[in-house]
Amino acid sequence: MSRVEIDPYSILGVSTHSSIEEVKAAYRRAARRLHPDVNSSPGAKLQFQDITAAHEILSDPTRRQSYDEQVVRRKAKQEGEYYFSLRVTPSKRTVARLQEPQVVYLLAEVLPDPRARKTGPKREARVNLTLVLDHSNSMNGTRLEKVKVAAHQIIDHLSDHDILSVIGFNDRAEVIIPATAVKDKAALKAKISMMVASGGTEIFQGLEAGVGQNRRFLAPKLVNHVILLTDGNTYGDDQACVELAHSASKVGIGISAMGLGQEWNDEFLDELASITGGTSSYIKSASEVVKFLNDHVRNLSDAFAERIQISIAPDPDVLLESAFKLMPQPQPLQTDQGTIPLGSLQANRTVSALFQIQLPADMQIGFRSLARLMVVGDILDNTVQQYQTLSDVSLEVMDNPPIEDPPISILDALGKLTLYRMQERAQAALSAGDVEEATRRLENLATRLLAMGESELATEAMSEAKRVAHTSAFSDSGRKTLKYQTRHLLAGPTFEDA
Amino acid sequence: MILCAQCSHPNREGSLFCESCGSPLSDQQAVVTATKRLDSTPGDMVAKATWGTARFGEDATIILRIRDVSEPIMLEPANQIILGRKDMTSTNEPDLDLTPYDALDKGVSRIHAAIRRSEDNLTLVDLGSANGTHLNGQRLVPDQPRLLRDGDEVRLGRLVTHIYFR
Repeated sequence: MSRVEIDPYSILGVSTHSSIEEVKAAYRRAARRLHPDVNSSPGAKLQFQDITAAHEILSDPTRRQSYDEQVVRRKAKQEGEYYFSLRVTPSKRTVARLQEPQVVYLLAEVLPDPRARKTGPKREARVNLTLVLDHSNSMNGTRLEKVKVAAHQIIDHLSDHDILSVIGFNDRAEVIIPATAVKDKAALKAKISMMVASGGTEIFQGLEAGVGQNRRFLAPKLVNHVILLTDGNTYGDDQACVELAHSASKVGIGISAMGLGQEWNDEFLDELASITGGTSSYIKSASEVVKFLNDHVRNLSDAFAERIQISIAPDPDVLLESAFKLMPQPQPLQTDQGTIPLGSLQANRTVSALFQIQLPADMQIGFRSLARLMVVGDILDNTVQQYQTLSDVSLEVMDNPPIEDPPISILDALGKLTLYRMQERAQAALSAGDVEEATRRLENLATRLLAMGESELATEAMSEAKRVAHTSAFSDSGRKTLKYQTRHLLAGPTFEDA
Repeated sequence: MILCAQCSHPNREGSLFCESCGSPLSDQQAVVTATKRLDSTPGDMVAKATWGTARFGEDATIILRIRDVSEPIMLEPANQIILGRKDMTSTNEPDLDLTPYDALDKGVSRIHAAIRRSEDNLTLVDLGSANGTHLNGQRLVPDQPRLLRDGDEVRLGRLVTHIYFR
């Protein structure tokens, strides 16, 4: 995504009538935190480019004047346009000075414009949707039938403003419906009905054809999305798929992956989805296919803003340890790229993510900054779609900080995230060959689940603990159930803005 | 280090749940109530999930508490209350003069920030202060108003205050 549409004033945190000296001072302050010489995090590298660009505009009187004039012209055009905002809540606002490193959590919430919720009859975003459907031999019977039903219902749901393409794949890919406006619904449905199951599973073939079809109508005013549905493992082309996902993400195509049954590779599908800001889900049985697919497409057409990306630049001495998207669909996030895609923002829900960061030992007493967070995204109904907002987070280091309760929202999210991490660690322990450790972690997980009132899932954890202890292996369904259900707990109730 | 009461696993300071057994570390009570609250009505959830309500009633007053100062400051709501410090040399005067609270040493600007009233809520806006205005730890972009909630922490330079609605 291009990052040209910056607001230099908000990026440097100066007011529109600040002097050149103030601009320069603000730039130097920010550069001390973000310059690549002192800060090696990928988020900082990206944000340093932004403050440098902002400084170049504002420190040159001619360029600044022309920017100001341009803003005035655009303001007139953008009167009443939508926005979104970013709220960051730290788990603590004061920390003690310690001889050891300490952990702080940041809850970042992207809030849609409250006006968007109020607008009269329900508006729907236009979608450019590609379905990439597995029709390998294993899909034969109920599975493929349910997929067809789901695809038919999706066609019913879409309108002639929307674009649809459908790819079927087994060992090779076949374009069943080339990207087209959804007009002749009966003809489109008939094409879906012709699909038959045969052959093996090669995901890259299908995904490449799908992304190719999606690109044909790729536009910033649309929700550009590819849904991959498979029930099998792909062999040898994982890496090619990951690279494809990266390039799709760059141009603004989201990919969601749905695994049906037990035999697919969850880590691989998680990765594909996380790269592009999409979601990955586990569909236990064929009977759930219709609901999963429909819900997903409905969520897509509820989008208020698309291609939401967050970047976090921790201060040079602060370490970003992990990131996890909490809402609307919980998803582990990758932090090794400069920006973290979060998918779409719906008009009536927030998008939130939890960051775990580590503060260094021996900090100075006083106020200090922790990190700078920035969110960019395309607001679909605006004339100029791209919008950005940023936030500097700081806290106070004291000798004797007052006791404060962590915010309920963080405590609640983290309590559930901890459960997800526990099943992750149990799996890691087993992969490392430590059966005893894996068993212990699963038993702990069962105890915690029970304490939180999740008795069904607790039973599942307990029976997996027994299985691991005896056979040194998870059952495929148990492992996936624990993983996706503990993740699903995070979805919880919607926190509406007061 | 925080030792987990359940399994004695050493966790880093600031951790809220044990890395090993998943038990809550900070305050057992707080988590129990958190899970309980999930069962309550969504409306109930809203007020507790955020820092406090943003609704500012017609006859409500603003109470400003400055850290380490025992006496709270009552503010009569007006369309705009400018926070800052009085100075012999300047002609502009703030509505609330913070000089008695070490404002100069703590880096409060003469015209620092304003609390504005609109319909049934309050917003905080930084007026281009030298050392910045922070709302709950986040630095405000000058001239961009942000919604205030009951219980919010507002920091002017290094002067820490809390805002309450009564």
